[in-house]
Amino acid sequence: MPIRSFILFVSCLLSILLLGGCTSMENKVVPATTKYPDKPITLIVPFGVGGGIDLVARTVEKSASTHLGQPLVVVNKPGGTGTIGWNEVAGAPPDGYTLAMTGIEIILQPLYGPTKYHYPSALDPIAQITELSLIMAVQSDQPWNSLEDLINYAKKHPGEVKFGHPGIGGINHVLGETFAKAANIQLEQVPFQSGAEAMSNLLGGHIQVVFLNPAAVKEQLKSGKVKALALGGEKRLTDPVFANIPTFREQGLDVVCNSWNGIAAPKGLPDDVKKKLSQGIKKVIDDPEFQKNMENLGLQITYLGPEESEEKWLTDSQKLTKTVQETGIAEKIKEQKK
Amino acid sequence: MDILNLLLQGVSVSILPANLLSCIIGVLIGTLVGVLPGIDTVSAIALLLPFSYGMDSTAALIMFAGIYYGSKYGGSTTSILLNVPGEAASVVTCLDGYPMGQKGRAGAALAISAIGSFIAGTIGLIGLTLLAPPLAQAALAFGPPEYFSLSLVGLILLSKLTGTSTLKSALMAVIGIMLSTIGLDSLSGISRFTFGIDELDRGFDLSIIAMGLFGIGEILTAMTHADAKPDIPSVKFRDLYPTKEEWQRSITPMFRGGIVGFLVGLLPGPAATISSFISYGLEKRYSKHPEEFGHGAIEGVAGPEAANNSAISATMIPLLSLGLPFCGATAILLSGFMIHGITPGPSLITERPELFWGLIASMYIGNVLLLIINLPLIGVFVQLLKTPLNFLMPLVAVVTLTGAYSINNSMFDLIWVIFFGILGFLLQRAGFEPSPLIIGLVLGPELERGLTQGLIICNGNIWTFITRPLAATILSLGFIVILYNFVTWFTKFNNKRKELDANRS
Repeated sequence: MPIRSFILFVSCLLSILLLGGCTSMENKVVPATTKYPDKPITLIVPFGVGGGIDLVARTVEKSASTHLGQPLVVVNKPGGTGTIGWNEVAGAPPDGYTLAMTGIEIILQPLYGPTKYHYPSALDPIAQITELSLIMAVQSDQPWNSLEDLINYAKKHPGEVKFGHPGIGGINHVLGETFAKAANIQLEQVPFQSGAEAMSNLLGGHIQVVFLNPAAVKEQLKSGKVKALALGGEKRLTDPVFANIPTFREQGLDVVCNSWNGIAAPKGLPDDVKKKLSQGIKKVIDDPEFQKNMENLGLQITYLGPEESEEKWLTDSQKLTKTVQETGIAEKIKEQKK
Repeated sequence: MDILNLLLQGVSVSILPANLLSCIIGVLIGTLVGVLPGIDTVSAIALLLPFSYGMDSTAALIMFAGIYYGSKYGGSTTSILLNVPGEAASVVTCLDGYPMGQKGRAGAALAISAIGSFIAGTIGLIGLTLLAPPLAQAALAFGPPEYFSLSLVGLILLSKLTGTSTLKSALMAVIGIMLSTIGLDSLSGISRFTFGIDELDRGFDLSIIAMGLFGIGEILTAMTHADAKPDIPSVKFRDLYPTKEEWQRSITPMFRGGIVGFLVGLLPGPAATISSFISYGLEKRYSKHPEEFGHGAIEGVAGPEAANNSAISATMIPLLSLGLPFCGATAILLSGFMIHGITPGPSLITERPELFWGLIASMYIGNVLLLIINLPLIGVFVQLLKTPLNFLMPLVAVVTLTGAYSINNSMFDLIWVIFFGILGFLLQRAGFEPSPLIIGLVLGPELERGLTQGLIICNGNIWTFITRPLAATILSLGFIVILYNFVTWFTKFNNKRKELDANRS
């Protein structure tokens, strides 16, 4: 009977799914572990394969097993600007076997509207690995050689200069708007799907400015296709390719907007587990091979321990709350979410 | 010849035992990824990344590239044999590949698809070798307004690709566009049509919908006539390979597909899928036997399968010469490169010539290897058809669902694969051909983003689109084709009326 077998098949599929769903729901059971870690640790990257944060995670994965005693396994759970992956970690048992890669989005996302968890309080930082100073770059055949040139041009031609960034409400977008506000100029934003897409539109002359992380700019800067006008960090970068880029502050604008990546666990980790874990991650970060790999990626290691990271989350949170309100980004996104 | 010298140096790198071995492993895994429906190239490479940490960087890159281009070789296998595409880029191959298989020409279809892949892959590689830097520069001239124009013209021309009813095809294409709007809107940052479900924010992956509609949908269809014995004519050995006539009919489509695929591959987006549809459309238009399309026209296999392979070679151009990945699969390749300490970009050719040319040379070798692997496999694959469907189809279902899960590691996606499977089954029953839906799904987002980003760039003035030379050229070409179609339709209509009038009097 064709119809009967059809129904049978569909119901089989559905029951498999339901069973699968059940197994992943047995949450919040904290085993009394004595020897942590005794099985592989999952590191959830809440973004797709191939992004900057994914590369940091995989660099950690590469050096982790020798220092943690167990392999670290990277699992990508992309979607919802990171919220899907972080929801999963925030709701996972705090046993040290489910960790998350974190970025500045854990602070930004809750500012734009209700999220399932308030990540800065639902997650417990283990370490900050790297801090990314965003770079403001223009095509090399543009007549602007300094921030001042660009600001003057934009003042004379309001609305003509457009900047690209890899996602609305992201830190790159925030930096762009902060700069425009500080310089008192009108910059139009163009959202793209990725840093690569923004860069190719800059190279093609379709947009005039990009705000991107150093790794996304490095190759084009080296080949002289783009020039960097300013750096979003507090200090200059040490990498020779970037060393001569002046910060916004040096050029008289009070704009500091840094992105960072780190590792966090669900809140409520047992003290001994947290200690072991943070020591293990510290050892990974001190490993010369890890440092070399990070340097290859164009990333500067800026280690912060659990307490320092927590402080940083707090200050960033206060600062960004103010910034997204002043620049009108939060209002714009919230308004559209209604 | 400077380039020839460099390429020879590259060959000497790529035939080092370790590199040759990783090339073989890469193309073997790639073939497997292609053959198994649901297993997506991106997730396959992501899964294998950790295993490469201990490898030498050149060998690792050669392996990743091998998986990437190898996967497009095998994609047609299950399309032809089971009507289940192995990859989204082989959806269109089902249209004529499967009917060929039903007529006992599965072997010929597989052979043509393998040879077409080889020829087009090589065309793509020659383009990559000779023209990479200037082509990459040319691709940059395409900005959002140009993508908008391309997608608009593409949608209009491609939506009536299959079947008999324009209305049904257009309806499918519109549903595809509608599905593509689900998720986080990149312009405003708001979630659209997600009903508050976070998982829907990322939208539907092309693979999820393609595997549902075509994979699970076909399995369900097969279930409804599971009692019937598979009616496959027994295939003699010499019937496994194409006849002279099939050859002659395929050779031009292969080259045409190869060139189309290459050009499409230079632009952002899922190039392999888009190019296969464009090639199918072209072949149907230029064929001397347009009535055979949909019933097993060999051109409908040769063209698209060639196109998706040369598209792959072309997508390597922006990656290797600019360091910019234009699609998901090259983005993961870029990651693989970076993890091994290699940053593709303008300086790669000068700083690491042995690596760059070694990789390119390995792709030539890999293409030959793929042909050598695939041709003898045809006999094995055709034997698969003798397996009763009630054993084969559940197996395909398991593989498809596993693959679908691995894309985002998400149980939620599995529900949707099954939902789209049931939808695909019902659509087939109701006489709707779902492939225009895939076109809408692929081109819809390009159209929307091109329009919104383009409007910002043009200060909100849509007429600026027409003053940009490239966009204007594309739009007017599209306009001419539509006008031409309209005129031919009108003359036909007129002739018919005259005929009727003549009959009446």
